[in-house]
Amino acid sequence: MNNELGTVLQLFMRSLETGSVYSLAALGVIIVYRTSNIVHFAQGSLGMFNTFVVTYVFLSFRLPLWASTLCGVAAAVGTGFLVDFLIIRHTKKVSPLAKQIISLGLIRVLLGLAPLLFGVDPLSLPRFLRSGDFNLGGASISHNAVLNISLGLVLMGVLFYVLQRTKMGLAVRTTASNEPVARLMGVPTRRVTLAAWALAGVLGCLSGVMIAPTTTVTTSLMDAVQVNALFGCVLGGFQTFYGPVLGAYIIGVGRNFLVYYVSSIWGEQIMYLLILIFLIFRPNGLIGKKFVKKV
Amino acid sequence: MNEMNESPLASLKPSPWSSPYLRFVLFGLLAASLPLLSGSGLMKSSTLNYIGNVLVYAVAALGLNLLLGYAGLISLGTAGFMGLGSYIAAYAVKDMGLSFWAALTAAVLIPTLIGLLIGLISLRIEGIYLAIATLCVSEILLKSFEQADSITGGMQGKSVSYPVIFGHTFNRSSTYILLVVALTLVMILTHNFVSGQKGRALHAMRGSEVAAQAMGVNLLQYRLIAFSLATAYAALSGALYVFFIKFSYPSVWNLNLSLYVLAAVVIGGLRSIYGTIIGTFVVWAVPDLVLKKLPVVGGINGLPYIFNGILIILVVMFAPQGISGLWQAKFPLKRKKKEKEEAISGKKEDE
Repeated sequence: MNNELGTVLQLFMRSLETGSVYSLAALGVIIVYRTSNIVHFAQGSLGMFNTFVVTYVFLSFRLPLWASTLCGVAAAVGTGFLVDFLIIRHTKKVSPLAKQIISLGLIRVLLGLAPLLFGVDPLSLPRFLRSGDFNLGGASISHNAVLNISLGLVLMGVLFYVLQRTKMGLAVRTTASNEPVARLMGVPTRRVTLAAWALAGVLGCLSGVMIAPTTTVTTSLMDAVQVNALFGCVLGGFQTFYGPVLGAYIIGVGRNFLVYYVSSIWGEQIMYLLILIFLIFRPNGLIGKKFVKKV
Repeated sequence: MNEMNESPLASLKPSPWSSPYLRFVLFGLLAASLPLLSGSGLMKSSTLNYIGNVLVYAVAALGLNLLLGYAGLISLGTAGFMGLGSYIAAYAVKDMGLSFWAALTAAVLIPTLIGLLIGLISLRIEGIYLAIATLCVSEILLKSFEQADSITGGMQGKSVSYPVIFGHTFNRSSTYILLVVALTLVMILTHNFVSGQKGRALHAMRGSEVAAQAMGVNLLQYRLIAFSLATAYAALSGALYVFFIKFSYPSVWNLNLSLYVLAAVVIGGLRSIYGTIIGTFVVWAVPDLVLKKLPVVGGINGLPYIFNGILIILVVMFAPQGISGLWQAKFPLKRKKKEKEEAISGKKEDE
């Protein structure tokens, strides 16, 4: 019985770790979606690119991992600024559909740029804390997993505090709710969008650094994260900032439990199927408000 | 052409060139003549592969254009259905020993049934939610391709040989001709569909669902039609892919492929058949056929793709109506031009 509980606990903690990765990426997607009305399909690719930066700095300059991560974060801010400054700013008149293609062009640029700058060989990135396990009621959880989980939660907490309680957050929320009116009211919407892209880049980079030790750093590093972040967004609903985060955690937990208890082959597909069925009953996601259609 | 010279009234008859069917067939003949060029050494043999790829993806892109341009419904499931079509075709021919036509029918019909289901879902889920719901279907299919070893060959992929049709074994050039014929037929079918009553109903639906319903358009019926056609096109494209490339790997059928098909449609221009084909060419053939030939850019590996990405972004930024939109802005329809001239001259008379 104790052993059973231990397995469940271990699965749960591991799910929380996956969930933090997905939810950081999902938060990036939703912040960009709410401020510039672009579904950020390039979130994963941007994260992949900046994880490459981290790995490259770590391996070539032999900096400690935390310093390399800071370099990656700086690069993420830089790329985010560049994308907004060079492209997004000039697309105010572009139709909403065509806007989505921009993120696709970005994917192609990043997929070409990463091997060009960092080589085609798969690189590997170690974990922050290489060893050490906590023993919790029969479950063993690595120190690194605990670090990832708490980093995700703390980061999320800080961001939501900023969003809900500060003037800066208010600016972001007004821009998200109605960009032209916010601009008329004197909200610096340009700076808000700029910050949103930079923040999305940073969140993508951090989720990349978290997931990198479990696999190798290649151009397809973030494919699964990107897809699951998007699913987290629909599961939670695009109307709030916290919905997608919640959705991403649910996917992380649901996926691991289904894979362990139901089927290691079909677990993930069942999870996606459940999301689809859920969407049929709640077409606007978990926390989505009903969209009133005007005739 | 001869008729024109024979009769003095010929100038009143529409010129045969204005027949869209003739233009489609001409397009087909032009595309089909390319293997001759490559056979005579005027064109590199690998070029034929890239053009063949364009033809294959153009079929899927035309399907998405029907869905997105005419019905106004977005789908990110194209890659999954292409993959499904390719695996069914490969399995039917290789493991079940079915004929080419039976395999092709199965490869198109089975995904179409799933497409119908998505059509049903689309009545409940809208906009971006629908896009990601279709992505969800695509991911379920993709994960299944990776896992169902016995049918799909898992990560190792599935291989088939060139098709055998009516006892005739095809080679690369004749399979290429097969692709051209398929694309031309699909173009004609698409043209007929959108210029008929069903196409008008879809138009109305995109403009305003409520107004369309008021005029007697059955939303369920037309959404089902739009989704099943788009899925059937995608599946056909996947089946053609596997017969031309002779391989199908799970890693091909991911989200990026769906996005590229979407990009091809938007770059080419919504509701334009030739535009879609040009868009497909820009996305799949320009990096390898054009950009790699440039002096500095082409020399470095990866750079052509970067430039292609930049090109895609630039087209969207400066030609949001796509390439066909640019074309129409530069060469407006003759009738419209005439009306404009009349309007201008009319104004002058008034003054």
